[in-house]
Amino acid sequence: MSDIAPRTKTVSDIAASDIVETVPSALIILDRDLNITSANRAFYQTFRTSADETEGCHIYDLGNRQWDIPALRTLLESVIPHRASVEGFEVEHDFPTIGRRTMLVNARKIFRPGDHDGFILLAIEDVSEERAARKESKRNWQLTQSIVDTIRDPLVVLEQDMTIVTASKAFLTIFGITEAETHGRRVSELGQHQWDVPALRHLMEKVLTENKPIESFEIEDNFPGLGRRVFNLNARKISQPGNHSHRMLLVFEDITDRKQRERDAQMLTNEISHRIKNNLQVIVGLIAFEARSTAQPCVQGYKAMQARIGAIAQLYDLISHSSRGRTIAVDAYLREIAKTMSASLLGNISGIKIEVKAEALDIDPDRAVPFGLLVNELTTNAIKHAFPDGTGRVMLCVERVGDQIELTVVDDGVGMKDQDSAKVPEKRGSDYVAIFVRQLGGTIVPSGSEGKGTTVRIRLPLLLVPSGDADRVAA
Amino acid sequence: MAVILVVEDDVFTRTIAELMIQDWGHDTLSAGDVDEALSLLRSPQHIDALFTDIYLQTAVLGGCDLAHQAIKLRPNLRVLYTTGNSVTDKMKALFVGGTHFLGKPYTPYQLQDSVKDLLAA
Repeated sequence: MSDIAPRTKTVSDIAASDIVETVPSALIILDRDLNITSANRAFYQTFRTSADETEGCHIYDLGNRQWDIPALRTLLESVIPHRASVEGFEVEHDFPTIGRRTMLVNARKIFRPGDHDGFILLAIEDVSEERAARKESKRNWQLTQSIVDTIRDPLVVLEQDMTIVTASKAFLTIFGITEAETHGRRVSELGQHQWDVPALRHLMEKVLTENKPIESFEIEDNFPGLGRRVFNLNARKISQPGNHSHRMLLVFEDITDRKQRERDAQMLTNEISHRIKNNLQVIVGLIAFEARSTAQPCVQGYKAMQARIGAIAQLYDLISHSSRGRTIAVDAYLREIAKTMSASLLGNISGIKIEVKAEALDIDPDRAVPFGLLVNELTTNAIKHAFPDGTGRVMLCVERVGDQIELTVVDDGVGMKDQDSAKVPEKRGSDYVAIFVRQLGGTIVPSGSEGKGTTVRIRLPLLLVPSGDADRVAA
Repeated sequence: MAVILVVEDDVFTRTIAELMIQDWGHDTLSAGDVDEALSLLRSPQHIDALFTDIYLQTAVLGGCDLAHQAIKLRPNLRVLYTTGNSVTDKMKALFVGGTHFLGKPYTPYQLQDSVKDLLAA
């Protein structure tokens, strides 16, 4: 029959030589005497040789005897004769043409029907790069581990599932556990589950998913063998270029001693503050005792003196609330002063309001008390004199003007109509203003009539420092 | 006019406080520690209000303990606390409900206002 339609080609129809040519591994076929009968294209490309130089050549003579390798001899002469196949036989050799290479050799004996001698098929895979990468990776890992081990603070590296990949020597030593006890376990499972804190778990999840580092998460607990300890935990995501999986570095900083020092310092501060205020109370009491037997016109002076002593005591409290380490935040300090004066002088139902508009500036704590007393005097004057009808607004402003700081106390009251008011006893507050300004090295800026109310402007050089420039310590 | 029990370990401060309170027409009773105060509170003596320092030399937070015991003995007693320390939330939690506080140093006028508020409450 001549009209038979052409058959679709199947895998069995494809010539073995076609397959051999497309295989990426280098293939050679040897006869029983180890002469090369054929090789594929990958072999010629890998070893930079040709069919003419290869076919018919004894394997050991090939390429100026570069294949005369003791390990290959062992494979071909000692292993293959006793086994039908060998897989993964590793040969490392310095090839004159391609340099030092690591080859993975698979060998198989092939017999054709009627041919008892058979052939040897060698598949040679160049794994040099893979082995080099593996070596490099191992070297990097050892380097990383040695760096990790030299860090004094205990640390662990976590997988995405929060299990521990590696723990530093410091971690193992401090927490008294072995590497085997940590590997593959979650931090929350360690010890007596001290680290199993919901807030910490929540933060740790965000480290990898949202790339949000953990900064100074504090945990205080009793640790087995360590006793009561305070640890600061810091964590961040670590990534390798080209690697999509991420890990987390979790560092445990033992801050027990620092914390204790802070607590001791706080206790001492409280004790000193307590004693200062008790002593101020005695001074106020002395004045009160004197005032009882003093003629009425002088009582007002005693009252003012007591109020100022009270203001100093309050300022110490406000300073501690506004502290930014070694400096005081002026904006927070002014707000505290305004709040305290509103509460003590005005009360909730007063029609007079004290407001604050201040730049973020810092003040030297040594000058915070005279600065506070200055604000106290100016504000008290405004409240006393500016609002005969009991309603109005006092604004406390601080802003930087060149190298100076300008403190402005503005009210929208009746203004200073009587220029002789300096002669009345209440005006003594202005004397104090002048003294405090002089103490702070500042000047009073003459303020013209700006419509309704009174404006007092004071320039204070070298008193305040911009926020952030100051030397600060952690609170 | 009221009877106010003043509890303060500093004799001078206590005396001046009593003089001020007496100047406003009230009577005072005086104690330097918790035990002295409790014996007065256990006596049949009429007492309207307790004005106590929180930190007493014989007992830290002694004023807080005293106020709790005083309220058990006299449920209608009014309490005004004072201290030179900053009052923390932890400390406030130890206060008897509905009580008043006056920080040190206080002026006679601040004490007068506080006593007025205390007795009016």
